[in-house]
Amino acid sequence: MQLQINGQTRDVPDDATDPSMPLLWVLRDVLQLTGTKFGCGIAACGACTVRVDGQAVRSCVTPLSSVQGRSIQTVEGLAGDKTPHPLQAARVAHQVPQCGYCQSGMLMAAAALLDTTPEPTDAQIDAAITNLCRCGTYPRVRAAIKTAAAQLKPTRPLRGPLRVKST
Amino acid sequence: MKRRTFVLSGMALGGALVVGWGAMPPRDRVGRRGPLTSTDNEVRLNGWIRVAADGRVLLAMNRSEMGQGVHTALPMLVAEQLDIGLDRIQLEQAGAQSLYGNVAMFLGALPFHPDDREPGHETRPVRAGRWFVAKLARELGINVTGGSSSIADAWEVLPLAAATARAELLGAAALQWRLPVDELRIVNGIIEHESGVRGHFGEFARQAAALTVSARNIHVKPREAWQLIGRQPLRTDVPAKVNGTAVFGMDVKPEGLLYAVVRHCPMLGGSAARVDVDATLRRPGVERVVRLGRTAGATSGVAVVARSTWHALQAARTMDVVWRPPPHDPAVGLLDTQRIDEALAQTAREAQDSAGGVPFHRRGDVDAAEAAAARRHEAVYHAPYLAHATMEPMNCTAQARDGRVTVWAPTQAPTFAREVAARVAGVDVDAVDLHITLLGGGFGRRLDVDYVAQAVRIAMETGGRPVQLVWPREEDFTHDFYRPAGVAVMRAALDKRGRPQALRMTVAGDAITPRWIARNRPAWATRFDAPDKTAAEGFFDLPYAVPHQRIAQQATRSGVPIGYWRAVGHSHHAFFTECFIDELAHEAGQDPVAFRLSLLDKHPRFATVLKLAADKAQWGRPLAPGRARGVALHESFGSIVAEVMEVSLDNGRPRVHRVVCAIDCGTVVHPGIVAQQMEGGVIFGLSAALYGRVDIRNGEVVQKNFHEAPMLSLAETPVIETHIVPSTLPPGGVGEPATPPAAPALVNALFALTGQRIRRLPLLLPDHVARQAG
Repeated sequence: MQLQINGQTRDVPDDATDPSMPLLWVLRDVLQLTGTKFGCGIAACGACTVRVDGQAVRSCVTPLSSVQGRSIQTVEGLAGDKTPHPLQAARVAHQVPQCGYCQSGMLMAAAALLDTTPEPTDAQIDAAITNLCRCGTYPRVRAAIKTAAAQLKPTRPLRGPLRVKST
Repeated sequence: MKRRTFVLSGMALGGALVVGWGAMPPRDRVGRRGPLTSTDNEVRLNGWIRVAADGRVLLAMNRSEMGQGVHTALPMLVAEQLDIGLDRIQLEQAGAQSLYGNVAMFLGALPFHPDDREPGHETRPVRAGRWFVAKLARELGINVTGGSSSIADAWEVLPLAAATARAELLGAAALQWRLPVDELRIVNGIIEHESGVRGHFGEFARQAAALTVSARNIHVKPREAWQLIGRQPLRTDVPAKVNGTAVFGMDVKPEGLLYAVVRHCPMLGGSAARVDVDATLRRPGVERVVRLGRTAGATSGVAVVARSTWHALQAARTMDVVWRPPPHDPAVGLLDTQRIDEALAQTAREAQDSAGGVPFHRRGDVDAAEAAAARRHEAVYHAPYLAHATMEPMNCTAQARDGRVTVWAPTQAPTFAREVAARVAGVDVDAVDLHITLLGGGFGRRLDVDYVAQAVRIAMETGGRPVQLVWPREEDFTHDFYRPAGVAVMRAALDKRGRPQALRMTVAGDAITPRWIARNRPAWATRFDAPDKTAAEGFFDLPYAVPHQRIAQQATRSGVPIGYWRAVGHSHHAFFTECFIDELAHEAGQDPVAFRLSLLDKHPRFATVLKLAADKAQWGRPLAPGRARGVALHESFGSIVAEVMEVSLDNGRPRVHRVVCAIDCGTVVHPGIVAQQMEGGVIFGLSAALYGRVDIRNGEVVQKNFHEAPMLSLAETPVIETHIVPSTLPPGGVGEPATPPAAPALVNALFALTGQRIRRLPLLLPDHVARQAG
């Protein structure tokens, strides 16, 4: 079987998987793409979030059979060739991660949000980012999404400097 | 028991193990003849610092990075002294030697009252106790990351190690260039002289290692000259954490890796009576079934080894097992948290009424003060068991081959991880190679090594192939070492004006440290537990000037596996005491901030922190209708934190809008990391206050995954501000101190809003529990 992951065609040996195997474990254990994390196995925490055809999905409950022929993006494919994605740059600027375990999923959920909603309101961020973070990076996650959104719209001025603030 | 006797009995724990007492002079933690080795490309200068041929500095990193920022803040201490960029310091995992043990955490375990340890005015018993324990801890050399102690522990040794290396490097350059050493300087990692000669550290490292610089020529850079400490360089761990390359425990993929998943007996302490091994082995991808025992405090279980985590998960989930409950008294039944709560309440009440328990703090004459009081005020508070729920579930990778064991583990306790791996594999501890990965959250859960023991046990059965053990989230929730439940009975005697004259308070709950030691250092287990400061911290050590006090802790043994949870005893004791103080303010008819301040004359640091938070939160100014503020003030891990919360009710559900934190944590190394820890600590505390509970019925934990155990979400998260009190005192901790005040600040705000006093956590019932309760 073949999968389209981060713009590349990847072979998935049939004997290593079965059609019901969640995409998460194909990525992690078969393809060694370990940036996508296991958190709960029931789509409750969002640590395993990847994008399928642009949409954020929880890969721990997404069977392999449902993603064949579709475009899969993981955190490893978020950056451009040389430059980080604005969401990644904003996470550095706002010093978002603590332990960092939830961040891959958070990034993919935010990337999907900004594609459909380039200037998200607080309420839209609340609705889209339902990923759990036990370190409590939420205030900075919100701030970083807003900064990235501003950067993705170069015709508009930046909404304030990239200062690390605790709010 | 007199306090001094009590302190010494607490220390007797390891006293017998003190061998070679004078082997290590008190100040010699630099490790001149230390364990690092020189190679062709890297020259050892001391036990902490090596210099690479290209001039980079290699720092022995003895603490685990679990989000708290040690991989940035500790190298900052070295970069400051060596005048080299943070990006030129490379971390290498410290070894198993006692040099890398944690001294500050043991000092934090001493049960001293704030009246006796005001910085600069410590009493003689405090100084003597600290001297003794520091010496003991240094001999023991136990390496753990916990107790918010990393910066405090490194505060003297790392700057001294770096300053020593600096003096040696400068000395070597001076000899080579035949120039006076005091005319040389270091700019951005380059040694230079105004004549134009310059060179990086690597050019002088070999000569430097051969030099002996006398102590009077080693100058630790003074505070006035700091250029890095107190600033906010970017965290070194962040780039890898936003591009997917950061390596956590489960991201280790050694060649030939097998995957294992554990299923424990659902009944805590129980075991597997019968396992259908043959049927499980016929499941797709399954290679082995391994029964797991009770090593390191685990409940027994069964592991399935397969060719992917998914295959192992599926087979483990459907595996046919007959479970055997733990030995128990049929008249009492299996563990039940409701019954435990009732028993704790009764125990606390009886101890309070009979002057029982261990009196961690006594002053004045409480009996006489109560007899003379105009009136009394009493309250009983309850706190539940709590789970850690680190985002990264428990996991460990192990390989047993050729008489050696290799372990890759996200652990806070490398000393115990090595020891348990050796015990399980039946090898010497020197035959264990431990690789510490990044931790996807710790919060104290990874101070235990049950999952390391299991991984090594499984690796003994895989014919030398490495195996990665992963716990499903359900196992993580149902087989944690939980924050113990507690019940406090608190009584104040008030004078005519409502001012408190006496406090008689008793808390009942299990003590963590004796259980933790018994499962991690079985040789130290004793039949009778020494008093455990963590079971009373934040309860006996109040800064408030109440002339008569008896504050006691009654240790219980409830049978639930318990462990250290962020802020440990402070996590619930601050809820008890800071809500009770708020009740007393109300009884006195005083404003909660003014009331506290009136009792803080002798503790200006506390008063300053409280005033700062109140000021920044505009305490006393009118709020929008339907909103109210609450405050809490609490010291833990050497730092004082005040939080003011602004809340409203939304369809009966508490909604926190804004949290203003003030902290005095002594000297600040990295204010940005302090702010991160304040935000994280508040959110962790709010999650627990609103939702946190672990219910056990018939010996089984009810809450099995996040849908049954909600955590605070982004949408519920308030705006959080951090304000830091400037200080030149030695650093305190920051990883934990923001968590304890969160619950009382929230509950006090709700009282201000509704007039209703809440004395039991959590505030909200998850939907499924509410449904069950009808």
